[in-house]
Amino acid sequence: MATETIEVTGHILDSLLLPKILDTILEAGCDYEILDVSIGKTNVDPSRAVIAVTGDDEVLGPVLDDLQVHGANRTVQPDATLVPAERDGVLPAGFYSTTNLPGEVRVGGRWLPIENPEMDCGLVVRGDRAVTVPMHRVKAGDMVVVGSDGVRVAAPSKPRDTQVFEFMGSEVSSEKPKGLLVARVADRLRAARERGGKILVVAGPAVVHTGGGPELARMVEAGWVDVLFAGNGFATHDIESNVLGTSLGVSVEEGTPTEGGHANHLRVVNEVRRHGSIAAAVEAGYVTGGVMRALVEKGVPFVLAGSIRDDGPLPDVITDTVAAADAMREHLAGVQVALMLASTLHAIATGNCLPAGVETFCVDINQAVVTKLADRGSHQALGIVTDVGLFIRELADELMGQP
Amino acid sequence: MSTTLPWGRRYLMCPPRHFGVLYEINPWMRTEVTVDSDTAFAQWERLVDALQAAGAQVEIMPSQPGLPDLVFTANAGIVDATPDGSGRPGRFVPSHFRHPERQPETAVDIDWFARRGWKIERLPDQLDHEGAGDALPFTPEGGRTVLVSGYSFRSDAAAATALSQLLGIPVRLVQLVDPRLYHLDLTFCPLDGRRAIVAPSGWDRYGRKVIEALVPEPLVLTEEEALSFCANSVVVGRTVVMPATPVRVGRQLEAWGFEVVECRVDEFLKAGGGCRCLTLALDVRLSPEPAGER
Repeated sequence: MATETIEVTGHILDSLLLPKILDTILEAGCDYEILDVSIGKTNVDPSRAVIAVTGDDEVLGPVLDDLQVHGANRTVQPDATLVPAERDGVLPAGFYSTTNLPGEVRVGGRWLPIENPEMDCGLVVRGDRAVTVPMHRVKAGDMVVVGSDGVRVAAPSKPRDTQVFEFMGSEVSSEKPKGLLVARVADRLRAARERGGKILVVAGPAVVHTGGGPELARMVEAGWVDVLFAGNGFATHDIESNVLGTSLGVSVEEGTPTEGGHANHLRVVNEVRRHGSIAAAVEAGYVTGGVMRALVEKGVPFVLAGSIRDDGPLPDVITDTVAAADAMREHLAGVQVALMLASTLHAIATGNCLPAGVETFCVDINQAVVTKLADRGSHQALGIVTDVGLFIRELADELMGQP
Repeated sequence: MSTTLPWGRRYLMCPPRHFGVLYEINPWMRTEVTVDSDTAFAQWERLVDALQAAGAQVEIMPSQPGLPDLVFTANAGIVDATPDGSGRPGRFVPSHFRHPERQPETAVDIDWFARRGWKIERLPDQLDHEGAGDALPFTPEGGRTVLVSGYSFRSDAAAATALSQLLGIPVRLVQLVDPRLYHLDLTFCPLDGRRAIVAPSGWDRYGRKVIEALVPEPLVLTEEEALSFCANSVVVGRTVVMPATPVRVGRQLEAWGFEVVECRVDEFLKAGGGCRCLTLALDVRLSPEPAGER
């Protein structure tokens, strides 16, 4: 089977040219997909249709020749232009900058699927494979796609489940019944699980501040989290709240500041550093509960990415941001649902690495975070504006029943 | 009684001094068949007389040695005599002939129109289109003029899009399927705002539907009638000058109030052309007229 794209313009509706072309395709035993149609607004304006025709190799050629008689021409599809990278970490000038949508590259007349869609990368062709490569990982001699010839990107597809699509239809939902949204997020998690897909959680410190830590830990223990991304703050406050019962010095139980509590998180970081790693601190019995402990005990991988304002940081925090992003990429294969929980910077960083096909739910009390995520190109994200602690509690109950 | 055609009172014709069947580019042409030059000339002059008697003016383009088909002026190009305020007589889109034998005609046609001040507009080089032979306007009563364009044997479907953009009018495509009816003007003859002589045997099923939707009262020819070239007629007001008049067709035209004038052009049928092929209307107005011109 082969697919070719044809284009026809003009008064293709009044002249019944479009139905004629589609009939011709079907009568020849081929199939079509209309990729794009624009209808002229008046009867003088031309209309235009772009049609992908699929059929057996020996049938397709003659059909396309037939269609040419009706003015439908193969769209010119040149091969992608490949230019070797001159230096490590530097893309050739004019490099094709990727999107997070699935796509294909034409090389030697064949369309190669882009294996790991990620936005803002270079596109490198290695033999018969096409992969996105972040700028810093390009090696001298890598064959990099330059310009946009020979690259095609699929339109964002609708999720199969129409109900979900409807509810994904509005980007930010601050005015929808939260219970309903939580139930549907739970449905998506279950659906991903059934398909064998991985669930990624990106968590910010507010998860702990709002009392959501124990519920998230419960989700980890029950196997609802396959990988977790966070920063120094989340891990620190998660451990602080379990070791000292405070989050940033405020009692998680009572909500009141504790004396000398402002330094609590520093003491905790210091102790974990003494143990050498979070896993070692868990093993030694220093960390007795919480999300980080659950991750260690369940063997669920996590990536803690550092930032310039981190205290300590914890020994597990990767302070080289480029290395941290690479570590996150290592865990993205197979992820089908991403839950961004009250995290602005880590959510955007993760969104930048995710293919558009990953269902992404961004939960934050601040609508701007969700908007920002979409503005940075993660259009697949659905925002849920609510208190993250309450959200996690309801989600955990929805998934596992009340404890 | 329907309104008469808004065009068809001024024609360009070319005397058959150098006419003959010198090559074969349609199923009617046989180089072994000789054309009687005197008879051809006499038939052509009778056609001129008939058109003038019906009230049309005829302008003459000189014939050229080596271009026998220059006599078929309908194929010279597409004329749009809509005033554009420039003082020019109008626009002329010269044909791009499919067969190399006829391609040298284009320079002669352009020369004739350019010298008379017509604005010459060209189709893209790679597209074939044989002028009024494959494109006839139909103006439905109270509606907007539509250019009906035939394609497959002599013209490209894609040329219709280019024509539409060039001329700013809707173009409807009809695929021609009978090589004996190789030009649209052998299958389609607009009579007025409601009627046209049509030969659906020359069209594919989509083309039939396109014309069905456009022409409220078609005079539908049988295949045999169509092959008599009776659709290749010239309409001057209420007069229809026909190369052949099947009885049924003549009666219907008369019943509709047309005067039928039969004008035999048998010498030209040897080359596959009838009355219409020998004429190019110079007063076709394709564009909606600018305000104030009405």
